[in-house]
Amino acid sequence: MSLFEARKVTKRFGGLTAVNAVDFNVQQGEIVGLIGPNGAGKTTFFNVISGFMKPDEGDVRFLGDSIVGHKPSDICKRGMTRTFQIVKPFPEMTVTDNILVGAFNHHRDAATANKKAREVMELVGLGAQAEKLGRELTVAGRKRVELAKALATEPKLMLLDEVMAGLTPSEVTGMIEVLGRVREAGVTMVIVEHVMQVIMNLSDRIYVLHHGEAIAEGSPKSITSDPRVMEAYLGESFVAEPGGEHAS
Amino acid sequence: MYEVYIQALISGLLIGGVYALVAVGLTLIFGVMDIINFAHGEFLMFGMYSAFFASALLAIDPYFIIPIALPVFFAVGWLVHGTLIRPVVGKSHAIQILLTLGLSLFMQALAQFLFSADFQSLQLDYGSSTFELFGTRVSYTKLAAFVISVGMCGALWAFLQGTDTGKALRACAEEHEGAQAVGIDLNRMYKVAFGLGIACVAIAGIAMRPFFYVAPLVGPKFTLVAFVIVVLGGLAKFRGLLPAPLSWVS
Amino acid sequence: MIRLRDHWFYLVVLAGLIVLPLFTDSDFVTAVMPSGLSGSALLHVFILMFFFAFMSQSWNIIGGFAGQLSIGHAAFFGIGAYTSTICYIHLGLSPWLGMFVAAGFTAMIGAGLGLISFHYGLRGPFFTLVTVAFAEITRLILLHWNFVGAANGILLPYSRDAGFWDFQFNGKEPYYYIALVMMLCSIALVAWVARSRFGYYLHAIRQDEDAAEAVGVPTKRCKIQAIALSAALAGLGGTFYAQYTQYIVPDDMVVGRVSVEILLGTVIGGAGTIMGPIVGAFILISVGEATRVIFEGGGTGISLTTLIQSDVGLAEKFSGYLAYLAGGGGGGLAVLLYGVLLIAVVLGMPGGVLPWLTRKRKSFAKSDKKGDS
Repeated sequence: MSLFEARKVTKRFGGLTAVNAVDFNVQQGEIVGLIGPNGAGKTTFFNVISGFMKPDEGDVRFLGDSIVGHKPSDICKRGMTRTFQIVKPFPEMTVTDNILVGAFNHHRDAATANKKAREVMELVGLGAQAEKLGRELTVAGRKRVELAKALATEPKLMLLDEVMAGLTPSEVTGMIEVLGRVREAGVTMVIVEHVMQVIMNLSDRIYVLHHGEAIAEGSPKSITSDPRVMEAYLGESFVAEPGGEHAS
Repeated sequence: MYEVYIQALISGLLIGGVYALVAVGLTLIFGVMDIINFAHGEFLMFGMYSAFFASALLAIDPYFIIPIALPVFFAVGWLVHGTLIRPVVGKSHAIQILLTLGLSLFMQALAQFLFSADFQSLQLDYGSSTFELFGTRVSYTKLAAFVISVGMCGALWAFLQGTDTGKALRACAEEHEGAQAVGIDLNRMYKVAFGLGIACVAIAGIAMRPFFYVAPLVGPKFTLVAFVIVVLGGLAKFRGLLPAPLSWVS
Repeated sequence: MIRLRDHWFYLVVLAGLIVLPLFTDSDFVTAVMPSGLSGSALLHVFILMFFFAFMSQSWNIIGGFAGQLSIGHAAFFGIGAYTSTICYIHLGLSPWLGMFVAAGFTAMIGAGLGLISFHYGLRGPFFTLVTVAFAEITRLILLHWNFVGAANGILLPYSRDAGFWDFQFNGKEPYYYIALVMMLCSIALVAWVARSRFGYYLHAIRQDEDAAEAVGVPTKRCKIQAIALSAALAGLGGTFYAQYTQYIVPDDMVVGRVSVEILLGTVIGGAGTIMGPIVGAFILISVGEATRVIFEGGGTGISLTTLIQSDVGLAEKFSGYLAYLAGGGGGGLAVLLYGVLLIAVVLGMPGGVLPWLTRKRKSFAKSDKKGDS
């Protein structure tokens, strides 16, 4: 049984089909990458599988149960959480309290939740900024808080939406390290990313979305040599034989 | 027996025109600036007082002060925007609501200080004259209020459709960033919108003055009515009231 | 969220408040306070202050902590007052029990209102509009419902031998202590909320609902719980008001002005803080009393209506009007200052006076690096 599975997920906005019958699965312990050119439907797909949008068709299953129609907070309780591309730290809370909100997910008691929050803070490398307010942080700091908040909910599966965007190369290296530690802690991850280097290095498997459809799936190596992927990214003129199947 | 209903219907229709003008002022401010003005009814109240004093002290017929009141209240709106509203543009709705709430409290108390808490009503020679329509009596003052309000709405519509400033306003209502991108001075548009919104509601107050008492606390009732009209009109269509493709401006 | 060293300050104030009724008639108080502000009049001012602080604290839970701006709390307040009063008059139920019936009832109504609003995803200003409409509907129902006295309201039956169980006392002292205890309980409740998971969840909701939902905060449920708790407290406040004034009437209780006054203390003192509403209520009542004292005896006896209708020239009318204004005009100066205060706080120190003071002190004593929480 897959840890997570999306079957024939479709999402339409009026006449526009943003996501078209996408199949997607994640096994325990994997890091799965999700890429695609701008407007490929990644964000919509991400919103659907994380419970922030309801699919028009198809099913989304986590730990064998359908989570369609469940609230994101319920899904989080079951062990799946997400981060936002436009990071959302609570601006008027300290870093500790930000993470504490996440830690309360499985610990009603403030003392144990606090302990959990400290643990996560160390893992993510935010110890020095514990007392800063959310709004006082740099972009890199915010991204880490975003990750820490999600991690504090003790997820089995974490969906990360562009955690590298806006970071300097050295910050990216730092973040890759952090994600490595997160993986060692036994958390399965789905990452949406624009920084190719990151996704190629981290992912075990990659899905490519184009015009709302999953056009390819496989190891980073096989993806880079897939003509459909090249076509999607570089345009038809670069490819000898156009695929010719576009979603309306 | 029917007359009662027809009477109510006609009267309701005429008053409805005035309420529409109140709501248009509210919508204009919300549409362009994304601010809900909880002090809206208080500007109406001041409009009513202006008509009352013009008539009671200077013996000027309330209808004749409209041409003066229009620019005056526009200027008041312009100033209020510059001093109070401008700092909270783009802030959270809670901050904006609390600010306009503070403004309404201030204006109510100011009216009580200046004009006392007494109810003031206006006795005009023609105040109670009526004419017959479908077998019922219709009051001239209500008809006048209706005509003035509908006229104001029409003038505003023509302004929004026909002038450059009007088109720019509609562009702002549609899309702030886009409007800015084509070189529209947002801050100036906000001032114009607030000034116009205030002018609308004040004129509605003046138009109603001959048949409606005034007291410092009449405002919230009209604010609520305006909200209800706008909500029934569809909050989602708020901006739809001022439809404006960007291309019309550029 | 209060530093330990703040506590002794509050304890000293509390001790002073506990013994205050013993001294309100003393020569010292009579000498120090402005005329008319001693004895039971002074107690009345403090009762109002405690009551305001209590009501502000009730609003603080939904408006401050959860950040859902309600401008309809007068409805919960009014419904609470009517519920316990009806129970008392028609069922002979002691208001001491009636106030909890009232709290339960207002909590249910609050939860219902929250359920409907939040089910339809109403946020921000749209929720606010719903609360405004809800209060107006409540007022109209009370105004036209003959069973509860319609526009005349209800005059609570006065009996000479009313005792403790009737929540009716001759002097002001019992009300003073009841109001004080109610205020203290509300502070304790909010302090507990602030330190609990529920409090953290509400703060998270106020700052970013989507982000809160993503990390497992059941936002809808929390908001409904917050409004129910808030409404329950407002209901208790309603019972106290009914018993204290012995007269309830829709147009005095369920109006926009009351809803605004309920939130005023919290917003000025510091929304989402434990002591903010108390500080706010203290500021407001002080300002109100100060204006009353300063302009007391004001009013030149001129009626504006008479002045307008008098048969003198414009110039004389104008000078008469100036005299009228100089004499305090038609009153309303306290509310005028409330409005100015609200605007000033929103523009100058968003977050309220208490957080502003805390920040000032922090930047003053920079050596003290440990944050409070």
